[in-house]
Amino acid sequence: MTSANGNPQDGMDIGDARPADLSLPGALDGLRVLEICDEKGQFCGKLMADNGADLIKIEPPGGEACRSFGPFMHDVPHRERSLSFWHYNTSKRGITLNLETPQGQDIFKQLAASADIVLESRKPGYLESLGLGYETLSADNPGLIMCSLTPYGQTGPWRDYVSSDITQMAGGGQMASSGYDDVDVPNPPPIAPGGGNAWHIGAHYAYIGLMAALYYRFLTGEGQYIDASIHEACALTTEGAIAIYLSTGEVVQRHTGRHAAPDMSPAIQFPTGDGGWLNTTRSGTNLTPARLKLLADWFDQSGMAEDLVDERYQDPEVIAAENDHIVQVMKDFFMNSTLMDSFHGGQQRDFPWGAIRTMDEIVGDDHLQDREFFKEIEHPELGRTFTYPGPAMLLNGSPWRISRRAPLIGEHNSEILQGELGLTNSQMLLYAEGGII
Amino acid sequence: MPLPTPLQGIRVVDFTWVRAGPWAARWLGTLGAEVIKVEWPLNLDTLRQNRFTVPPGVEPGPNSTGQFADTNANKRGISVNTRTEEGLDYVKRLISVSDVVIENFSSRIMQRWGLGYDQLKKIRPDIIYVSMAGFGHTGRYHWYGTMGPAAQALSGLTHLSGLPDAPPAGWGWSYLDDTGGMYGAISALTALRHRSATGKGQHVDLSQMITGITLTGPALLDKTVNGRKARREGFPPGNRTVWPGAEVVNNYRGPIAAPHNAYRTDPCGYNDWATIACLSDQEWHKLVKLMGSPDWADNRFDTIDGRLDHQEEMDEHIEQWTKTMGKYELTEKCQAAGIRAMAVQSSQDRVDNDPQLRHRDMYVPMDHPMLGPWKFQNAPFKLSKSPARIANPPPLIGQHNREVLEDLLGATHDEVLDGYENGIFWPNTMDRYPYIEEALR
Repeated sequence: MTSANGNPQDGMDIGDARPADLSLPGALDGLRVLEICDEKGQFCGKLMADNGADLIKIEPPGGEACRSFGPFMHDVPHRERSLSFWHYNTSKRGITLNLETPQGQDIFKQLAASADIVLESRKPGYLESLGLGYETLSADNPGLIMCSLTPYGQTGPWRDYVSSDITQMAGGGQMASSGYDDVDVPNPPPIAPGGGNAWHIGAHYAYIGLMAALYYRFLTGEGQYIDASIHEACALTTEGAIAIYLSTGEVVQRHTGRHAAPDMSPAIQFPTGDGGWLNTTRSGTNLTPARLKLLADWFDQSGMAEDLVDERYQDPEVIAAENDHIVQVMKDFFMNSTLMDSFHGGQQRDFPWGAIRTMDEIVGDDHLQDREFFKEIEHPELGRTFTYPGPAMLLNGSPWRISRRAPLIGEHNSEILQGELGLTNSQMLLYAEGGII
Repeated sequence: MPLPTPLQGIRVVDFTWVRAGPWAARWLGTLGAEVIKVEWPLNLDTLRQNRFTVPPGVEPGPNSTGQFADTNANKRGISVNTRTEEGLDYVKRLISVSDVVIENFSSRIMQRWGLGYDQLKKIRPDIIYVSMAGFGHTGRYHWYGTMGPAAQALSGLTHLSGLPDAPPAGWGWSYLDDTGGMYGAISALTALRHRSATGKGQHVDLSQMITGITLTGPALLDKTVNGRKARREGFPPGNRTVWPGAEVVNNYRGPIAAPHNAYRTDPCGYNDWATIACLSDQEWHKLVKLMGSPDWADNRFDTIDGRLDHQEEMDEHIEQWTKTMGKYELTEKCQAAGIRAMAVQSSQDRVDNDPQLRHRDMYVPMDHPMLGPWKFQNAPFKLSKSPARIANPPPLIGQHNREVLEDLLGATHDEVLDGYENGIFWPNTMDRYPYIEEALR
């Protein structure tokens, strides 16, 4: 057993959490998943694979196109060095298969016959056109669950629309909600939040649909088909924007880094003396007398409280009337402090503030290390290990685990096609030369 | 006959409040679980007080906010004072007949109530307990709090968004309340599969802040593998993949591409924008053709390096063209030509103007006792045999006390009446709503 404590406030208290015994199987242990996904669905596959599913990623010969997304290891572009591919394909095994050939289709059908889940993100109708639709695949495997995760779903006027991360964020409403206060950037455009999150949003919901179908199969033995839409998933992911519109007819305003609102709510993001930025959430500007006193006493320790320690501020009306002054005192304090001191000082006084951290601050963070978040993942072909982000959730009875780095192109062809399906050496040779694997 | 739901027979005790937690349980309810929200009127869920979503003409109050309504649809609700021994006893009886307990309090509240995982396990050995604290239940700062925007900041997500040489833009709403909710539901469902396979429950210890870090994977690996500086010239690159003049490195939004931007459209109002992304030279040439092969689009733009070198000029020209038409017209024209494009859609656009969401029944009409005819957001996936469904509006506070206490937990009607007299099911200091009186008759 490992321990994850060390909290200075509570001594050895680790609460009710029992750090997982990492030798336990993951929650999806025993499930066989086939994945035919590009950037749109591979994160959903990772969620299943890191949780213990035996996931076989089926790529076209030469590998998925998203292997060519940078950044690359040591900035040397190569299809085995994409850090994006590395992150999104942990814990998977990989084979290459040309699904547009009869032999490739036959091999896929053999694999699907004993699979629990097929996850795919190809164009609507594509797999069906190859004779690999759900009807066919489930004919001899009625427990099969198949999820198609596509930009706009399998039906409707936009079903065949093409997309990318930014266009999904435009249609889904992320951009209409994100941007700047005019004081930060005059006349600002809508901003698509970075990092490829349209794909994350779609993947989260597809995973939920898959897990629900698994439970239904547990009850009934029946598999089913899931038609998941990234557009709908994104349209669901703008906090209060839809409810505000339905309630009052108002449309949310873009602003810098705070909760959705239809009017110009107070700014909450402030610079610190060391060039950082602190997000004080609503709690920084929505002060009761007691909470104002906490701030005033803190600022006073470094002589920065100005008149906020004065008794007259123990009156909500005075706080409301003097809001601009109070905010100015806070800003002055932050500019004379550092990002991390401001952040910790606020948290220690029960203010749920956030330091705007970069990877420079996140990698190696103590709290994350206490939770054993960072994982050293071996790349045996390179003779190296690299530090990866680990569990998004601590499942204490069935741990999330990165069981291996992303597969190399066709790495498990022999293991699976020969070891499981019994292809002969000569078939492997002919299929390789024939562009089938 | 309506199709069955996938989570039939699953009961969830929902102690959550505000957004991330209730949103998690909302999806379990939408998938057919029986979700019972446990509340206390003196510690009102802040979404019941949301100032932006009380419709005009509706009497304000805890049952009248649109944001609470959508976030808590498909649940039932009881009001119990867990600070009384008797109230806590009813809660424990409820847990003993439930499958999942979910909460998003700070890290030691449940233990203080005597409802930490060790105790829950004694009440119900195979219980699935999902805790959704800001920093989690373990780690030295487990007692720190977050709200969505703070968690986004701490996770690195905020810093990935915005224009260079400006403050981080981050997200203009609480992305990690939405997504934190996703992970609450994901945790419960993943643990449910483990229970189906092994018969065992468990505690899933979520941290809202950490769920965000897993969403920054390529950026994090760029740091740990390449030592890339996070604070660098031209980063973040706004809506582009590379900022004009900045070093050509991948900034974590798929392939490096140009054009890749938001452009104004006619009539240039607040939300009159559309996005276009050409991910290959072929896609660029399709766009040139669609624009009528203008003189400016010469061979300087034929390759991705040329387009990056002349990005400002290219984007200006493209915008002159996009401004000649509305955002939907632009979208349709581009899509007909095989170009990746989409209108920037406001909430109003999605509800009123989006033919795809309409076709897919994204907004489901249902009556709400206070709000009248209302719309609820549907699931973004269609399960062919056991679909998700919008079954009932959110609970009025304390609405289902009698049916849960009497029908489910076997309390007698007199015991329930006593509990009301003793401040266990409703505060003595507050008037009871007419629907509560009515239910007790």
